[in-house]
Parts: sequence; C-alpha cells; structure tokens
Amino acid sequence: MRATLSVCAMLGLAIGAALQMASVHAAEILAEPPSDLIVTVYRAPYRSSGSINLNYLGGFALVTETRTVRLPTGTSRVRFEGVADGIEPASVIITGFAGGVIEKNRDAGLLSPSALIASTSGKPVELLRTNRKTGKTERMSGTLLSDAGGGVVLETGQGIEALRCSGLPETLSFEPVSGLSARPTLSVEVRSPSAQTKQVTLSYLSRGFDWAADYTATLSEDGKSFDLGAWVTLANSNGVGFPSAHTQVVAGRVNRENGEVEPIDIGGPVLAQCWPRGSTSDAPMILRFERSRDFDSMKAIAGISAAAPAMLQESVVVTAQKVAQEQLGDLKLYRVPERTTLAGRQSKQVRLMDRSSIPVNTVYGADVEVDEDDAAATPAHRLLRTKNTAANHLGLPLPSGSVAVFGAAGGRRLLEHESNLRDIAVDEEFEINMGESPDVQVTANQEKVSIDPAQGLLPLVPGVSLRSAKLSAANRVAISNARASGIEFELRLRLEAGARVVRADHALSTKNGRPLFRLKVPANNTVTIRYQIEHTGDRILRTP
Amino acid sequence: MRVRLLCIGCAAWLVVGSAWAAERALSVTIYADNLALVQDRRDIDVKEGRQRIEFTEVSGQIRPETVSLAAADISIIEQNFDFDLLTPAKLMEKAVGQEITIVRVNPATGAETREQAQVLATNGGVVLKIGQRIEVLRDDGLPVRVIFSKVPDNLRARPTLSVSIIGARAGTRRATLSYLTPGLGWKADYVALYNESDSKIDVQGWVTLTNSSGTTYDNAQTLLVAGSPSQVDGGSTNNYRPPPRRSNLQTPGTESGNRERLGDYYLYPLGERTTIANLQTKQVSFLDVHGVPAEHGYEFRNRWLGTAEMPVSAKSIYSFSTSAHAGLGDQLPAGVLRFYMRDKRGDPQFIGESRIDHTPMGSTLSLATGDAFDVKVQAVVEKRTRIATFDWQTDMRYELTNALPRSVVVKLRQEGLWGDSSIKAESQKSVRSSAEVAEWAVTVPANGKTTLTASFETRY
Repeated sequence: MRATLSVCAMLGLAIGAALQMASVHAAEILAEPPSDLIVTVYRAPYRSSGSINLNYLGGFALVTETRTVRLPTGTSRVRFEGVADGIEPASVIITGFAGGVIEKNRDAGLLSPSALIASTSGKPVELLRTNRKTGKTERMSGTLLSDAGGGVVLETGQGIEALRCSGLPETLSFEPVSGLSARPTLSVEVRSPSAQTKQVTLSYLSRGFDWAADYTATLSEDGKSFDLGAWVTLANSNGVGFPSAHTQVVAGRVNRENGEVEPIDIGGPVLAQCWPRGSTSDAPMILRFERSRDFDSMKAIAGISAAAPAMLQESVVVTAQKVAQEQLGDLKLYRVPERTTLAGRQSKQVRLMDRSSIPVNTVYGADVEVDEDDAAATPAHRLLRTKNTAANHLGLPLPSGSVAVFGAAGGRRLLEHESNLRDIAVDEEFEINMGESPDVQVTANQEKVSIDPAQGLLPLVPGVSLRSAKLSAANRVAISNARASGIEFELRLRLEAGARVVRADHALSTKNGRPLFRLKVPANNTVTIRYQIEHTGDRILRTP
Repeated sequence: MRVRLLCIGCAAWLVVGSAWAAERALSVTIYADNLALVQDRRDIDVKEGRQRIEFTEVSGQIRPETVSLAAADISIIEQNFDFDLLTPAKLMEKAVGQEITIVRVNPATGAETREQAQVLATNGGVVLKIGQRIEVLRDDGLPVRVIFSKVPDNLRARPTLSVSIIGARAGTRRATLSYLTPGLGWKADYVALYNESDSKIDVQGWVTLTNSSGTTYDNAQTLLVAGSPSQVDGGSTNNYRPPPRRSNLQTPGTESGNRERLGDYYLYPLGERTTIANLQTKQVSFLDVHGVPAEHGYEFRNRWLGTAEMPVSAKSIYSFSTSAHAGLGDQLPAGVLRFYMRDKRGDPQFIGESRIDHTPMGSTLSLATGDAFDVKVQAVVEKRTRIATFDWQTDMRYELTNALPRSVVVKLRQEGLWGDSSIKAESQKSVRSSAEVAEWAVTVPANGKTTLTASFETRY
C-alpha cells in the first residue's frame, strides 16, 4: 500500500515537472529599469477649451523608455516591468532588437492573493494549520482543487476540505509561481543570434494624463491693456512615476478612436467563502449579492482613472522654467527645457509665457431676438477683445485652457471673472468673456406689427393652398448704462431666414452674417434704437 | 483508509494530467469579431463500451452547442457542459444525506475527536445528524473541521465538457474536439511614421490578439481571419443605418495580393506556435513597409447653413495608397492606424490616429489625424434671400486663415446641396463632386488669409 502511494506521488511529480518544462520554453530576461524617459502629454481630445479636471484626467501621453537588455543566445522572453498602469497595449512600439520581435504580450494579471490562488488551481499546495493552544504549526501537503466562486477547496491526505471553514487558523503555502508580476508588465519574445547587451526603446500610449494652459490676465487701472501670464498644468494619475524625464506637452486636437483598453486585473484578497454558517441563535438571513468576477474587472478598469483622484491633490509642484515651443506637423509642441520628474499621482506646473501691456478693447454686447412677448430687461455681457499679433505684444500660439482675469480696486488685486479659452492661432482675434454686467441692461420690445396678406394663394393640392404674407415689425431696444463712464456697445440681431432690416435710426453693419448696431452709450444714460424688419411668412390653408 | 483516499485523488489527477500532457495539439482560428474556432486534438484512452470522457481546459466561454468530437471507433451518446463550480458551499450542498467526517478540536488541549456525521440540510446553516442526535455545525463557535471523502461527480474547478460515448474497442486514439467560443478576438494596429521632409511614411502592421475567455491556450497554432462571419444571435440587421461618417477609403482598390483567402476573407496565419494566456494582449507583426509616398493636406466640411461665430480648425489629412506600385502593397485588415512624426530633437511623437475598415489592395486611403492648430476656416451665412416661395438664395462667405510660414491648400466642402441646388456665383470655380457636395481647393498663403464667397440657389 505504502509503495503504491509513493509511486503515485512520484508519477504525479514527474508529470508536474514535465508540464513546467513545457510552459517555459524561452529564457526569461528582466529588462533593466528605464535609463532615459520621454513623456509627451496630450490633452483630452473632446475638450476644446477649459482647464483639466484632476478627478478625471481624460488626456493621454506618449511614453518612450530606453532600457538595457542582456540577451542570451536563442529565444528569450524579455519582461519590461513598471510600465504605466494606463498603458494601451495595442500602441506599443519596440525598437532596437536586431533579430526581430516574435511577439509582444501584455499580461493583465498582477501578483495578488487571489491571482496566486488562481494560478495554483489544480497544482500542489501546502496547508498550514496552527494549534492555538500549543502554537505548533502542522503542514499538510495537498492539491488545490478549486478556487471557483471565491471559495477554496483542497484535497489533502485526509480527504476533501474547504479553506478557513473550521474556525482554526489556516493558510496556504505556495510553490514559487512565474508569470505574475507586482507591477504592470509588458513582455516581448525575441530571438537573438548571440549573447549581447542591447539598448532598447519602448514607446506606448498611456491613459491617465492631461494638461491645459491656465492663464491669468491682469487688467491695468484704466482697463485699456492687460498683462497675460500662463502656466502649463500637467497631471499624471498613473501609479507609476517618470523620474528625470524629457517632458513635452502637445496642443491641438488629435484624433483618437474610442477603442476599449483591456483592463488590468488588479486582483483581490483571498475570500475563502464557506458553506452557510448560520447558527441557532442567528437573526433571519438577509439576502446579499455575491461579489462576482465581473465586478472585480470593472473595479480594475475604474481603478486606473477613478481610484487616483483622492491622492492626486497631495502634491502640486510649481517650477519656474519656461517651456519652448516648436511645430510638430499641424500641432504645437511645448518642451520643458530641463529634465523633470513627473511622479505618480501628481500635478505639475511649468511656465508657458509672460507678456505685458497687451492693448484691449472693452465692449459690452447683447444678442437680441425680438418676439411678440414683452421682454424683461436683461444684463449685457462684457467682453475683452484683442488680436493675437506681435504689435499687441502677443503673436504666439495660445493653447486652450482657462483664463482668470484680475483687476485692481483700491490698490488691491481682485478676481473679476474666470472663463475658458479655445486654441488661438497667431493673428487671430479673440475675446475673453467677462460675464454679465448688471449696470448695463437691455430691454427689447416690438412696437408695432403689421401683416399684409395681399401676396396671393398658391394651390398645392386640390383643397390645400399656401398663403404667403408679408410681415412688418417695428422694434425698440433700450440700452441703459448705470456706469460712471461711457461704454462701447454692440447689439447683434438674430433674424429669421429671409428677414431683413428695412429701416433703422442708428447705423447698421454686419458681423459674421448677422446685423449689428455699434454705438456709444454715455455715462448714466439710456439710448434707444428703433428699427423695422420685414419678412415673408407662409401658412398652409384649406381652401374650398 | 487514508492511503486509499490519496490514491484515488492521485489517480484522478493522473488521468486529467495525462489527457493534457500527452500529444495535444491546439489550433485556434480567430475571427475579427470576438469569435474563435478552437480545434483541440488530444489522445484519449477509450475503454470498450459505454463511458464518460472529460475535457478540461476548454474555453470558459465555450458555446456547447457548437461542440463536435471526432475520433475513430466511438459513437457519441450525449455531451454535457458542466458549469456547476466546485465551491465549499456546493460541496456541502451535494453532501446532503451523505456521511462526512467531523473533527472537533478541543480549544484547551488542542486534542482532536473524530466523528462520523450525516448532513441533513444546508439551508442558512449546516444541520448534522451525529449518531441519534441532531446538531448545528459550529453552533457554539468552537473549531470543527469537516472532511469530505470525495468530490461529487459534476462539480468542477473550471467549466468542463463531458461526453458520453460508446467505444467499439479499447485503446488510445486521437480525438479532435472543436468548438466556437467568444472571448477571443483580434484587430490590426498600424504604426505610421511620417517623414515631413520627403513626404514618405513607414508603416508597420501588428495584429493585436486579446483573450478574455478564461482559459490559456498553450502552444497553439493560430490563424487569424480578417472578416466577421455573421452570427445568428446579436448579428446586426440592415434596418438601422448608422449616421454617415467621413469615409477614409477614397478609391477602393482592385488589386489581388498573394495572401491566403477563405471565401472572401483574408487569412493571417502566425508564423510560429504561440501561447495565448488568459487576460493577455498579444501582438504579432504582419506588415513592415518603408518609404511609401504620402500626401498631407487639409479638409474642412461645412454642413448646410453652417455658420460660425469664430474660426474652426480644418482637419489635418494624410493620404496614401495601398497599391503594390508606390503604396503599401497589401490588403489592410480593419484596425487603428496611429501616426507619428519626429520632433526637433528627433524623437517620434504621436500626431493622431484614425480607424480603417478592411481595405483591398490598390486603394487610396485618406485619413484625418486631428485638427490643424494654425489652419482655420470660418464659414458664415452672409444672407438668406427669398426669391419666390420655393426659391431661396443663400450667400456664403468662407474665411480661411493660415498661421503657418508656408502656403497650404484646403479642400473646402459645402455639403447638404441635395435637390436641384445650383451655384449662382462664386469667387473661385468649384467642383461638384456629387449632387450633395460642392468642393473647392483653396490656396491660403503663408501667414495670410483667403476669402471665398459663393451664392447658392436652393428650393428651401
């Protein structure tokens, strides 16, 4: 009997060993940590203006790592540990292997208690049981039969048992496993004709980055010019940091196809769920949802982006070197001049620009669409208008972001308004919206409407005709100014298709295809504009 | 007793182990649409007469209705796919009415007492019959080990396929199991490096294989099929037409390559056997072409009556051919093409990506990589005049600006001209590429601007 047992065991071991040999057909090589790093951060493709949201970084980065690899002769599997958590495996490019890359792999399984059990399923394992009284630990060798559904079933010499159901201190002791790494890992199978040391470049796109320009505009006392300064704010919500990296940011919208990224299985604790353990003194059973595998993988996807924010605010590093701009195809690339460390879960600011005495026009404006209803007074918008030219001390591309406008009041610096800014090219005119101004109110009313039906009937089908009628409306818009100084005002009309202004008591011009009145409103005064519009309308009628 | 038990377990393990370690050849054919055909060849031991054969290590998402087993001298009675998983709770549930061994551990002395017990019920808690008494397992919270003598037949650690067969003769024979499974899929990923100085691109193509089927396929011969065979369930019907998007395929090609075909699909066999691990993303190269001529241009599309308060960036477009002559010289399976360009330091930087469909050889592709920072267009509806009830005149003005130090050509498209719309007047001659679209190639000087005007006559 005992002989049979040992033969059985030996056979089992031999087969186990054979299996191990079969799965490890290539030498496993670990690439050295990166010796050089380049990180280029791109903005969230869907955000055309505004600042970044540290709770959700919708942008991405191109990470380029230079690593040293010592290759033996023949086929080997090179592991690159510590790549960014948000890596998009499909975007990986590897250059520098002479013999060529056979295949690239990214394994989503990280080393965790649950992954350890999953990889041991069906394989030998040791069960450790400690006697609470004597402190003695009993080691029992057996086989892990199943880890399905979060419970663990073992087979030992005594029979079938479940882990941690007896109330005794129990744990498992595993044989060394391969293929599970602590950090996100990329592996490459390569063939080398000889043993050699290679410098390899690995580059990939990774999620969990973003950047924006944050401008501060300081208005002069007279409000005729402002100083504009800006920071590049970039952030990394990956757990992995990039020490001493060449860092760039790219402005301009790049196309991204919204493909899914295969999630990383971040693993979980050993659940060791048992059979029902109710006792005679238990309260009635409460039904509970079981934690399933799907939930785990959902958490893993969310973990990359959503788990980060709480720790993100921890460190904000402010440095005072200015970025250098260069053209990259149709995009603008901003290079941080010195190597910098972009740590994991960090936001960082680098100076983008500082320009002073930029002339600016302050204009108040309102959009009016007059209809039959009696309209209440609405406040006008205040706009700061300037052009991005060298003559205006600008003349450089302005990447999108947010702008905070400060003014001076009684020798103190005060925030006047915050708004968003889109990408502005050189020589482009742009406006900073300063929000509503309660001192300047606009009231629009229709004074008189007349309809001239003498336009004839157009029969469509028997019994139905189209009648056209000419509509004529006299409108009145009053603009009141409660400020102690005169203002420039722009009243833009929104007209129906085909409508036109036939008469007006102020000069009329057009801008962007829309009628516009430009006028000055003196201090503490009201100006009224009267104009008449004409337009032909149709109505379908039943005719006898 | 103890020795016998171990040997049963050991033997069971050996049987499983041998079915696995012996001559096993896996071949996996992966379609582009999350579907794979697995052909699993193993040597099985068959006895004479009726018996059950188990196949472990099949895909966790196997579609059992597609399973077929082929082996000499056997006839199949039935096949079962057991997905009742081996968990402690199930183990106890299946033991209802049966004998188990309980080991009580004295907390003061650590001494063990063994007893035989019959499981009566497992509803909420485990109720045991020990001798003539009835007890609730661990009702007092004291440690009690439970030992089961065996694992019930249809409880498995992993979903398992079992087939009942009648063997005509005893002996080992080669069996081929084949089935369809979702959870395995592939797509193509392209890397294009654009060289600005000579307008050429280097293109590498990779197939990206993903496995979320719950199983690892060891040493599998892998074949990728560029095409999505229609599936009955979840297949799309033609009732819904997705909104039109910018077509990347400018002219469909008419060339044939030397790639292997299956019906109308192209086949991409992987050169070597490979292990497709569970939760793995794997990439294998299939295309590497250097110095393909490419063109860079700009495009702006304006919808009918599209009017803008501020300038909007034009799209940056790269176009190239997949022809054998002055092109990539291959069919391109559907995937994402990522464009890179070297910066001033010489490092490749990402400049945008675009999705392509299955593209025949000889086609011209025109791919938008993103928006141009410096090339913008402002389209304005200058005036709408009603000439008669069903006769409108629309005056459009397009302001094209260029902040680049070189002149550019923007392909400006005014869309939405269906019906018998006509252009009454225009500042530059247009090309009516279809009844729907009027197209201008507008040259914008370096650091300058061009204004284009057009007057359309329409019925609405």
